[in-house]
Order: sequence, then C-alpha cells, then structure tokens
Amino acid sequence: MTFSEKLYRSAGLVFPIVVTVAALGAAGVIDPYLAYVATSWIIFGLLGLSLDIVWGRGGLLSLGQTAFYGLGGYFGSVVAINLGPVTGNTLIWSLPAGAFFGALCAAALGWIIFFARMGPLQSTILSYTLTLLLWSLTQSFQLDVGTASIGGDNGLSNIPGMVLGFGEKAETLGPVAVFVATILIAAMVYLLTRALMTSTFGRVVDCIRIDAQKAELLGYDVRLYQVANFAYAGAVAGLAGALFGAWANYLNPSIFSVQEALLVPIYVLVGGLGTLAGAFVGAIAIGGLSYWLGGGAVGGQTTLILGIALIFLVLFLKNGILGAVGDLWRRSLPDANAAARDADAVAIDPEVLEGLLKDAALQAGPAKSLATRDAFKRFGGVVPVNNVSRIFEPGRPSSLIGPNGAGKSSYLKTCVGIYTPEAGSILLADDDDITRAPIFQRVRRGMGVKNQKPQVFGALTVFDNLWTAAYARTRNKTGATEISEKVMGMLGFTNQAAVQASVLSHGQQQWLDIGMVLCLAPRVILLDEPAAGMTSEETRELSSLVRILARYTTVIVVEHDMEFVRTLEGHVTVLHQGEVFAEGDIDGLRANDRVLDIYLGRRAHV
Amino acid sequence: MEIDYLATVLLSSLSSASILLIATIGLAVVFGLMGVINLAHGEFLMIGAYTALTTTQWGVPYALSIPIAVVVTMTIGATVEILIISRLYGRLFDTMLATWGLSIAFYQLAVLIFGTVTPGIGMPRYSLRIGDYSLAGYPLLMIAVAALMALFVYALMTRTAYGRKARAAIQVPEMAQAIGIDSSRVNTLTFAIGCGLAGFAGAVLLPIVPATPSMGFAFVIKAFLTVVVAGPVTLTGSVLAAIGLGGGASITASFLTSVAGDAFFFLITALLLWLFPMGISATWRRKM
Repeated sequence: MTFSEKLYRSAGLVFPIVVTVAALGAAGVIDPYLAYVATSWIIFGLLGLSLDIVWGRGGLLSLGQTAFYGLGGYFGSVVAINLGPVTGNTLIWSLPAGAFFGALCAAALGWIIFFARMGPLQSTILSYTLTLLLWSLTQSFQLDVGTASIGGDNGLSNIPGMVLGFGEKAETLGPVAVFVATILIAAMVYLLTRALMTSTFGRVVDCIRIDAQKAELLGYDVRLYQVANFAYAGAVAGLAGALFGAWANYLNPSIFSVQEALLVPIYVLVGGLGTLAGAFVGAIAIGGLSYWLGGGAVGGQTTLILGIALIFLVLFLKNGILGAVGDLWRRSLPDANAAARDADAVAIDPEVLEGLLKDAALQAGPAKSLATRDAFKRFGGVVPVNNVSRIFEPGRPSSLIGPNGAGKSSYLKTCVGIYTPEAGSILLADDDDITRAPIFQRVRRGMGVKNQKPQVFGALTVFDNLWTAAYARTRNKTGATEISEKVMGMLGFTNQAAVQASVLSHGQQQWLDIGMVLCLAPRVILLDEPAAGMTSEETRELSSLVRILARYTTVIVVEHDMEFVRTLEGHVTVLHQGEVFAEGDIDGLRANDRVLDIYLGRRAHV
Repeated sequence: MEIDYLATVLLSSLSSASILLIATIGLAVVFGLMGVINLAHGEFLMIGAYTALTTTQWGVPYALSIPIAVVVTMTIGATVEILIISRLYGRLFDTMLATWGLSIAFYQLAVLIFGTVTPGIGMPRYSLRIGDYSLAGYPLLMIAVAALMALFVYALMTRTAYGRKARAAIQVPEMAQAIGIDSSRVNTLTFAIGCGLAGFAGAVLLPIVPATPSMGFAFVIKAFLTVVVAGPVTLTGSVLAAIGLGGGASITASFLTSVAGDAFFFLITALLLWLFPMGISATWRRKM
C-alpha cells in the first residue's frame, strides 16, 4: 500500500488533528476579536456534526437539530447559573447537562419516529414542526429556576462564561482562551464521534441507511440503533448549545428560529454529507465568508443569500468540499474495484460447506421446522395467502411453485414477518409462536431469509458485507472474521474481498446475499427465487448448495425455474390463488392435469 | 346559556378547522400528486396575501384581488417548478431542502419589500348571534369556502383529463410515461395549482389573518402536520385530519390557552403518527 493510500484511509483522523494543532498554534497570534468570532464557527461546526450523524450516517434528514441545540443550551445554562458558583468551574456543569438534556429530548422524539417505523417524510416533517413549535412556545415561556430566570422573548441572561479553574478565585476565560478551550472540546467530540462511526455501531448504522430491511433481516434491531444514533446526535447538539450559551452569555428563542435551523444543513452540504469533518469545514467556510463580507453591501441580507445558497447547493454541489476533494484524490489511487472483473466462477466445495454447517449446528442447535396454521393475509379485496397450513421440515428441500400471482412471495413474506397475517399462526420448531414477532426476532431465533431482489450493502466491501452478517449472530469480532472468511472462500470471492458490493454483477450479488444468509447459521432458510439472474452453471452449483443445506437445516425455496426445482429432488407445494393447490414430488405434479391447467390456462378450473 | 356557549365553541371550532383546511389543501394536492412536501407552501400563502393586499390598496375591489393573487402565485409556482423542482425528481430530501431555502428567501424578500409590519384590511362587518354570544360572520363563511375548495379539487382530479393524468403519473410513473403522459408537464401544472390554492388561501383569509412576512411559518406547522397525518389519500385524509386536528386544537384553545392548543396539535399528531406511521389513510382502499 502506498503512502497516498494509507493517508487516504486515515484522512479523517490525520487532517483534523493537524488542523487542530495548527489552530491551537495560531490562537497565540490571532486578533482576540477574530478568536471570539471564530469560536462561534466551531460551535456551529459541532451543531453541523450532529446533523451529519443523523443525516449523513443515519439517513434521516432531521430539521430539528437546532431544537436539541436550543434545549440543551437552555438546560445546560440554567444548571450552570445555579451550580457554577458552587465549584467555580462552569463547564463541568453546563456541558454534561446540555448533552444529557439534548440526548433525552432526541431520544424521546427518536423513540416516536423509529419505534413507530414512520416514513422518512413524516419523520422530517415531525422534526421540523418540533423546531417551529418550540420557536413559538418559547416566546411566552417564563420560568424561574433558582437564580436563573427564563423570560420568554427576553431570553435567559447572566449565563456564566467559561471557567476552567476551581474555587472562588477561578476566573472567566478571555476570548483567546475560550477559543482554545472550544477547539479542544470540539476536537474531542469529533474524535469520539469518528471512533463511534468507525466501530461496529457505525457499521450497523451505515447498513441501516443503505438498506434498513436487510439490516433487520440480519437480526439487528434497527430501531434501537436508530434511536441510539439519534440520541447521540442530540447529545452533540445539546453540548454545542451549552457551549454557545457560555460563549454568548445569553440565550433567547431565536435559537429555535427557522433562520438558525436553515444554517445547519447548509454547513453539512458545503462541507460534504457523511464526512463528519465536513460540518466543521462548512461552518468555518460560511462563518469566514460572512465575517469578511459582513458589513458590506450583503451584510444585512444574509438570510436571503443563505436561502438561495441552499437551493444552489442542492442543485449543483451534492458532495460538498470534502466530498469533491475525496473524489479527486480517489481517482489517483489504484482502483480497489478492479478485482471485480476477474472473479472466479463460484464452485461450492461440499466439504467446506458441510464443515460450516456442522459448526453452525454446534453453535446454533439443531434444525428447526417451520409451520403455518391457517395463515391468512388480505390486501383489500385480494387474498394472497388464504388459510395456508403447511409444515416444512429438514431433510430435503421444500419448493413452492405456482403461476404468477399465486401468492408464493406473499406467503414467504408472511413467514418472514414483512407482512403480518390477519389470522392464523406461524410456528418455529413446533412450539415457538412467532406470528407477531418482529423480523429481527425471527432471525435471531433461527430464520435466514433471502428476498427476491439481491439485497447487499452496495457501499460496503464484499468482506464487510459478510462480516456484518456474521457479527449479527456471533457478536464477537474474531468469530465473525473467521466465519466470514470461510464463507467468502467457499463462494470464490477471496480475490474480491475489498471490492464494493455494488460493482458485482447481478448473479454475484445473489451469491453474496446467499453467503450473508449462511453467515447467520440459520436453522430455517427461506430463499425467494435464488436462481434468478444466474447462469446455468451457477444454477447447478446453487442446486447442490441447496441440497446440502437441506440435510442440516429446513430449506424453503420459491422458484419459477422448473428445471431447477426438479434438480432439487425435494418436496413441492403448488400454490394457486393463495391456497395450497397440490403437493408431491415434481414428477408426480408434472403428470397432474389440474396443475398443468393452472400453469397453461388450458381450461376452466375450480 | 350553556347550550349557546357550546354551540358557539363548536361553530367557531368548525370555522378554525375550515381555515386550516383552506391553508392546507394546496399542500395536500402537491403532496398527493407529486409525493413531495413543499416547504415553501406557507410563503406562497404569504405571497397570495400580499398580492391581495397590494391590489386592494391600488383600488381594486377585494373580490377581484383574489383571482389576481391566484394568477400571481400560480405563475411563480410554475416558474419554481421548472427551474428547481423538475431538476430534483426522485430526490425527496433534496426537494424539501430546496423548497426550504426558497421559503427563507421569499420571507426575506417580503421583509425587504414590505417591512415587518403591514396594515390589515377590515373584516366585512356582519355577525351571527347565538343567545348572548355573537360570532363574526366572515370566519363562518370560511366553512363554505373550505367545502367549495375541497369540491373543486375533487372535481379537478376526477372530472378533468389533467386530473386523471396526474393521478396516473403518481401511481405508476413508468406506465404513465409509456402511454404518452408527459409527466413533467403534468407536474408543473400540479405544482402551479398547489401554489395557486395557497395564494387563494392567503388572499381569502386576508381579512382574518393580516399579511406579515412571517405569516407562512405560523400556518405551515399545522398544515404540514395535517398533511402527514392525512397520508397518501390526500383529499379525504386532509379533510378528516383538518377537522379532527384543527377543530380539536381550537376547542382546546378556547377552554385553555392558544399555546395549549398548539401543543395539543403537536402531541395528537405524534400520537396519530405513532398509530399510523404512514398517515391515517395508508391502508384505505379509496384513492381520492
């Protein structure tokens, strides 16, 4: 690996540290007034960082980050006013209090949004209306807490400045010292955030943004991750608010105003969405620009200019400054995705596979049967699953076939939990009723699912895709690495380990998706049209894979490809209009006139 | 009289709900037919109000100033759609951000042109007496206006070729294109109609809600919440949500304070979205 590549990989760590050190060095020589103003840019950078966590990483455009910023600021400042005199030091009160309150409020809103599984639009609007509501409520909100007095639109004054020393003699920091302290706090928050976002938590959050359903199909409780991420961002915003209170010594309801809220996505877009450091770049760029332009002809019209700037940013500059620089830099590096072009053909080695499956049986227990009793699902007047009672057992593969619209995929989705049945029950291993269990619970209890469309995390590498799946079950990094390496070797992806999943061909993505399911060591495997998009050679390999799988687990396959179903040599169920129409082995069904009728539409049938 | 008081509260709440519906319906049309939320909706309302105000100050009769406001907002809406929205199809959040920037820009422009304080126009002076209580007539008239607007939109969507095309384009965009519907022209018209309805709302509510640059922000909170609670079946959903939420908030406000009414509105919305995360109409079979 060249120096440039190494630097590129750790750019998020190296450059911020260099800039921090440079800024600390510059603090000794810059004008105190500039230091005072620049402090606010860094605080806004923290606020932008909180949006980048939620939006760039979590995938939810929150227009409510200033709400948590303001709430954290008010709460932290009230605590500092009352308790600051006790210790002399103010920051040990205001910062934790602000972060805590911001996190609490964000967790409350996040709980409603994510546990209700609200749509993206609903979530954004709810976060925006919270900000607008706070803006109007705080105009008349008056409350005295100890010596602090919140006076509606008169605001909250007498907020103590930053005091780092302890005891009665501790003095309030001057502008340059405040600048230095703010830089250090911001650098610590940034490094903590980066550590979190490069950890497995951040990996899962990324996966949820890319494909929330797949993340849940791996057994992750996506709602908890989303709420935790949202609450963490709320804590960052609240901490920034508390810093702002200590910097300005005064807060008023304009902190909740639309003009204030508008700035936050601008910072993030200017700097680069999802880059974390971009929020600071954006805040400093915008702050610096208005500092040097301010007072001139455009000084009074900042709001107008920013509004128009947001439109232009959205229209023309999607990647932001850091995104654009990163793109340019990446072009000069060797292409990691080049290996995708010389992928080997998949060749399933039965011994490796059986070894994997035996290990899985040791860790996860014996195969489980899957049964539905009178499962019933209705969409308006259409009944795609009409009182289906079936039991699937290990030993040999079970196939579901039927003409288009027979209800095969709907039945599978009802088993998986994507659809909730209106009546009937679904049982795992005879006695475990999972009818109402959310998807991730079913997966944790042993269900492995591959949907019709290959679901892979395109931005992640092949290895990371498999690793994320393995980690969902093992919760152990070395264990996950071991399993994912085995599966990767078996699927012939070893040379493509560092390739992004999105550049793989459709058939390769199918294999990767199947590989992710294998990493989960499922006790029941549901495959929806796994052979779609595969070459005839690949289909043969798939057939041998499925047959071996069925010896160790329960396997249910939905397929259109009759030749493939025949090679499985398993039990076949024919669905028609949501009901079980016939069953048996494929040769028997091929001779069945009623089955031929519904497939070919030869004559009227019941 | 207790009964009189109740009747008064009910009637004025119904009129509040109607005012909310009037302010919301343009937003609902754009959301229902284009799938995007126009965050500048409130500012189109404001533009409508200022247009009506300015033309009346020039001596145009108030009744005539309303259609002028509709034409002006429709023109601006069509321009915005062509210049900005049409470049962002399929990018939901970007569309919202762009309209948000637009909303702030319009707000600041209004401050520049009109200042922050503007005179209202007098409300037509007739009123309705119930026992000892008297209700202003104009707000009550809004009940009829809201009903007419809803009927107009319903007729537009079901009885005109444009309406059928627009509904086809949102349900199955590829199919609509395949049978020759130029969905971008349909969208331009939809957005213009949505903005025109907002302009109409701003103008017709002018006697009740005086024009100020920030009037949009006050209106949009409730309008947005109404639309997201309503969900995909925007017309029926919005009517129900506006009556439920707007009426409920107004009743709360008349027994408690207006702040309590606002908080009620937000909390009930959060509760409804908790129960129906994609809106109350997400599972309905009717589509209008």
